[in-house]
Amino acid sequence: MALDLEAIRADFPILSRVLPSGRPLVYLDNAATTQKPRQVIQAMTDYYEQHNSNVHRAVHTLAAEATAAYEGARITISDWFGLEPHRLLFTSGTTEAINLCAHAWGRSNLEKGDVVLLTEMEHHSDLIPWQMLAKDIGVELRFVPVDPETYTLDMDAFEATIEEAKFVGCVHTSNVLGVRNPVERIIELAKTRGNGGEGAVVLLDSAQAVAHDRLGFDAMGADFAACSAHKMCGPTGMGALLVSEDRIGEMTHFLGGGDMIEEAWLDHATYQPPPHRFEAGTPKIAEAIGWAAAIDYLSQFDMDEVRDHILDLARHTAAQLKKIEGITVYGDHEGDLGSGAVSFLHDTLHSEDLAHFLDAGGFAVRTGHHCAQPLMRRLGISATNRASFYLYNTVDEADAFVTHLKGVIDRLS
Amino acid sequence: MDWGEGNWPASLQEVIDEFSDVFDAMERYEMLFDFASECIPLPMEKWCEDTRVHGCQSEAHVLCSLDEQGGFLMIGSADAQIVQGLMAVAQKAINGLPPEEVSTFPVTFTRELGLHDSLSPNRANGFLNMFTRVRQEARKLAQGAA
Repeated sequence: MALDLEAIRADFPILSRVLPSGRPLVYLDNAATTQKPRQVIQAMTDYYEQHNSNVHRAVHTLAAEATAAYEGARITISDWFGLEPHRLLFTSGTTEAINLCAHAWGRSNLEKGDVVLLTEMEHHSDLIPWQMLAKDIGVELRFVPVDPETYTLDMDAFEATIEEAKFVGCVHTSNVLGVRNPVERIIELAKTRGNGGEGAVVLLDSAQAVAHDRLGFDAMGADFAACSAHKMCGPTGMGALLVSEDRIGEMTHFLGGGDMIEEAWLDHATYQPPPHRFEAGTPKIAEAIGWAAAIDYLSQFDMDEVRDHILDLARHTAAQLKKIEGITVYGDHEGDLGSGAVSFLHDTLHSEDLAHFLDAGGFAVRTGHHCAQPLMRRLGISATNRASFYLYNTVDEADAFVTHLKGVIDRLS
Repeated sequence: MDWGEGNWPASLQEVIDEFSDVFDAMERYEMLFDFASECIPLPMEKWCEDTRVHGCQSEAHVLCSLDEQGGFLMIGSADAQIVQGLMAVAQKAINGLPPEEVSTFPVTFTRELGLHDSLSPNRANGFLNMFTRVRQEARKLAQGAA
């Protein structure tokens, strides 16, 4: 059954907004963050209006309600991604999740000289934590190149290095190119040939993937996956590190205090079991509830259909953009997998100038290096404009965007 | 001189009047785009780390000095036309003023151009960084002159 876009759009109040320019909003910055349906907004408002309390321990009614809602949210979210709730560790988002992996697992399981294999396609969030680890404990970073012609990972280079790698960090779906990497093959190679045949540990940066992919975390066979709620209709400041059964016991506590403590003395302490051991301080209660509401919202759809809709818009837009003289589109949008991100550049008009003229027309697109500067350098550029689509975008919006862009180029060239 | 709302240098007031006739955001951007050609440029061969303005998405460089009459002189260039257009407006606002007046010149002059409405916070921040830097340079020049 086709998606009822009119009904879907009615769920997102912000999509009816008229901008100060007097033009209606056309929101095409979904790879940065998605908009929130009123069901998510209402769930968070209800929590604050009716149930707000700190979770765990206290015996009063509000505390019990808040705890039930918070831990209930964990169950909803872990069911969605296909793992047990105690292995879904709440974080502030993908970046904190990868940092948690590096600190709580990396520091106690990697040592000087161990090879950490990353790719040139990584977001800075899956680069800098490993650079920090390299500096602190001496792991050796290596990188799988990106082919600037096909916008894909050089899997021959991956295969050539995987036997030496103890850890693999890879972006599931690129936030710049819209390309989905062959994560199943990467996991298989890492597990069968990694670390001299003993198997390498795999982390997937799944920030872009979760917009339209339920991951099936345990079935997929990765050790870690990092994701953010706000890429899938949930609130900002919320995300998770998904951890396999094999790895959760290998992790050591990272941040100390608050919710992670079982019992404390002046000179030592004992810690809660996972997940709370890794969630120090008062947790993000409303955000967890909002994320679960986002998943409840998405549950009404067939996610394959959602992904197809998003990819159709990206494919359609990329094809139209390629017809405009002077425009180069970065990424491969022909396949059946990927994301809604379409990056492009004009050969003479600066990306920032174009972005302002698009904004003046009501079109919200992103401009810049998208926190992937090594990838930009590999592509020989410093920035792109990026339109990115989601569940609620329409072909009419895509066409209006292309028409406006053409008009801007005609006016300025 | 105590510059501020209702009391701007004549060259800036002309620009404000020009922008006030334009209500359409696209046209306002086109005006700013066209203003880039009026910017007194800093040639690319003089771009260096010392001239670079941090916090801008585009590559932007400014150099501040005093002109022959002892008035403030800011020259600058950017690879994005709209950024260079903003620099041109800033030049009309402050060039020729005593450096001590530039050091306290209110950045709120952009509001009178309606630029805050149509420029993203990112750009506004980038411009704020540029203007803050220019005011700091002006303070140094004023102290040197004194």
